[in-house]
Amino acid sequence: MLEVKGISKIYGEGTVRVTALDNLTLRVDDDDFMAIMGPSGSGKSTFLNVIGGLDRLSSGEVVLDGRRIDNLDENALVDIRRGKIAYVFQQYHLLPSLTALENVLMPLIFCGRGADEKDALYMLERVGLGKRSGHKPGQLSGGEQQRVAIARALVNSPSLILADEPTGNMDQKTGNEILELFKQLNDEGRSILMVTHSPEIARQAKEIITLRDGRILTGPTKN
Amino acid sequence: MKLYKIVAKDIMRRKRRVLYAALGVVIGTMTVVGVLTIAFAGQARIYRQLEQYGPNLTVIPAINSLDMKLGNLSMGTLSVGENYIQQDQLPKIRQITDGNIRKALQIDDDGDIATIAPALYENTRINGVSVVVIGIEPETEKMVKTWWNIHKGAYLNGSDQALVGAIAAELLKLNVGDKVTLNNDTFTIAGILEETGSGDDYQIFAPLPAVQQAFNKTGMISSLDIRALCNSCPVEMIADSINQSIPGVRAVAVKQIAKSEMGLLEKMSNLMLALGGITLAVGLFGVINTMMASVNERIKDIGIMRAVGASRGQIIRIFIYEALIIGILGGVAGYLLGTALAYLIGPLVFEGVSVSFVPQYFPLALAVSIIVAVVATIYPALRASRIRVADSFRAI
Repeated sequence: MLEVKGISKIYGEGTVRVTALDNLTLRVDDDDFMAIMGPSGSGKSTFLNVIGGLDRLSSGEVVLDGRRIDNLDENALVDIRRGKIAYVFQQYHLLPSLTALENVLMPLIFCGRGADEKDALYMLERVGLGKRSGHKPGQLSGGEQQRVAIARALVNSPSLILADEPTGNMDQKTGNEILELFKQLNDEGRSILMVTHSPEIARQAKEIITLRDGRILTGPTKN
Repeated sequence: MKLYKIVAKDIMRRKRRVLYAALGVVIGTMTVVGVLTIAFAGQARIYRQLEQYGPNLTVIPAINSLDMKLGNLSMGTLSVGENYIQQDQLPKIRQITDGNIRKALQIDDDGDIATIAPALYENTRINGVSVVVIGIEPETEKMVKTWWNIHKGAYLNGSDQALVGAIAAELLKLNVGDKVTLNNDTFTIAGILEETGSGDDYQIFAPLPAVQQAFNKTGMISSLDIRALCNSCPVEMIADSINQSIPGVRAVAVKQIAKSEMGLLEKMSNLMLALGGITLAVGLFGVINTMMASVNERIKDIGIMRAVGASRGQIIRIFIYEALIIGILGGVAGYLLGTALAYLIGPLVFEGVSVSFVPQYFPLALAVSIIVAVVATIYPALRASRIRVADSFRAI
C-alpha cells in the first residue's frame, strides 16, 4: 500500500548541505508492522515525516494506495492526515488546555464531520482510559498521555500509523503496554511504521529495517 | 464540540496574554468613545441653546463692564453703572426689527411681529448676600423664556411681586409668600422657578416699572432680548440696522455666538478624534505584537493541530475567533470606560454640561474594536497557518 521510491531529503544549501535521506526505497504492505532502527541522525524521524507529508522531499516519490502523495498541495495533504495516515509522537503532543476526551475529539472537529463524543470516548475506552476522559494531559502519566495520543490517532480510522519513538519516554513496563496496543491495531489490519532505537522494542514488530546515513543498512528482515 | 470551543479553552489558559492584547483595543476604543461622547454632549447643549436663542438678538449698551450671560453663552459684559439704554428708544428698535422681518418675509400686517423683552439689571443685597435683580415685562419675558417653568407658587401677577431663580431661592432661603426688600421697595415672592441650568437660576425677577422705581432708574433699561420668532428671520441684518441707526447700543445676533462656539467645538472634537485614531493605531500595533507573540508561543500547538488534520484555513479561523473575542471584550470595555472618561472629563471641557450615555456609540465601539482586532490578527494568523508541522516540532 505504501511505496517509497528513491527518496532523498537534503537540508540546507551549498557547503552546509546535510543529506538526511539518501535515495531510499521501501515498500510497506497492508498488515505490516515495521520497526525502523538506527543511530541518532540516521534519518529515522525525517523518513517518517516525509512519508507522512509533514516535511517535503528533495527528490523521489511516495505512493500511498496507488496515489502519489509527495507532490500534493497542502489541502490534499490535510485530507490524507484526516483519514489515511495518523501520527503518534514521542512527546505525545497533546494540547494542554484540552481534556483527554477533547484531545481525542480534535481530529473529528477539524474533519468537519459531526464531532461525536461517543466515538472519542469509545477510543479512550479501547486504550484503557475511559475513566480518565475528563483529565487534562498535565494530570496524566506519560503512558496515559501516550494512550490518549493513540486514541486520537485512531479516531479517524487511519490505515497507516506512523509512530516516532512512541515508547521513548517510558519505562519498559509502560512501553510494553503501549506496544501491545500497537500489536492489536496491527492485528486489525492497520499497518504501522515505528521508529525506535531500542532493539527490544524493535524485536516485537514483524519486520525491522536499520538506517544509517540516510540509507537502508539492513532489512527489511522478519523477526 | 466545535472549533470555537478549542479557542475558548485556549483563551482561558492564556487569560493574561489575551487581556493584554485586548488592552490595546480597549484604550483606543475608550479614547474614541470618550471624545465622541463629550463632543455629543457639548453639541447637544449648543444645539439646545441655538434652538432657544436662535432667532434672538440681544441689545446692550455700547459700553460694558459687567459680565453678562444669556444661558451659558457669554454675551460679553454689561455696565450697570451709568450706561443704560433709554426706554424711549424701544419703539425705534421695534420699528427697525419688524421692518426688516416684514421685508424678508413679505408681510404687510401692521401689528407687532417680534417679541421685544426689556430688562433692567440691578445689584442688591438680600440678607447680606449679593444678588442680581432683573426688572422684566412679565408677559413678554414669558414669551422669550419659553423654557421657564414655575416650581412653586405662581408667575408674576402684580407690581410688587418677585420671581426667584431656583438656586437663588435656595441660597437666600426664600419661599413663596416671603417679603424681600429690594433697595427702596418691598416685594412679595410670588413664585420660584424650576432649575434651568442657566444664569436665571441665580437671579430675582420683578416687573420692570417696579424695579425702575425701587432703584431710581425710571426710563432706563440694561438690555433687550429680541425674539424674532422665525428661524429664517434676518437677525444679522436686524442687528446691523440697529447698530447703524441707534447710537449707544450694540445689537448682537445670538446665532453668531452659537455658531462660533459650535465651530470651535467641531475643531476641537476633530483634533481629539485624530488623537483617538492615533491611539487606535497604536493599539493595532499592540495587538499585532501580542498576536505574533501568541503565534510564536503556540508554534507547537499549531503543529499538533496541523498534524491531526487542521487545514490552513482552520488555523487562521482559530486566530480570527480569538481576535473576535478580543474585539468584543475591547468594544464593551472601551465603550464603558470611554463613557466613564466622558463623565470625568466632560464637565472640565464644557462647564456645566451633562454627559450621558450615548447608546448609538455602543455598536460603533464594538465595530471599531472588532475591526482593529481582526485586522491586527490577519498577518499573525497567516504566519501561523504557514507553520510546517515538522519545523514546529523541531523548534521544541
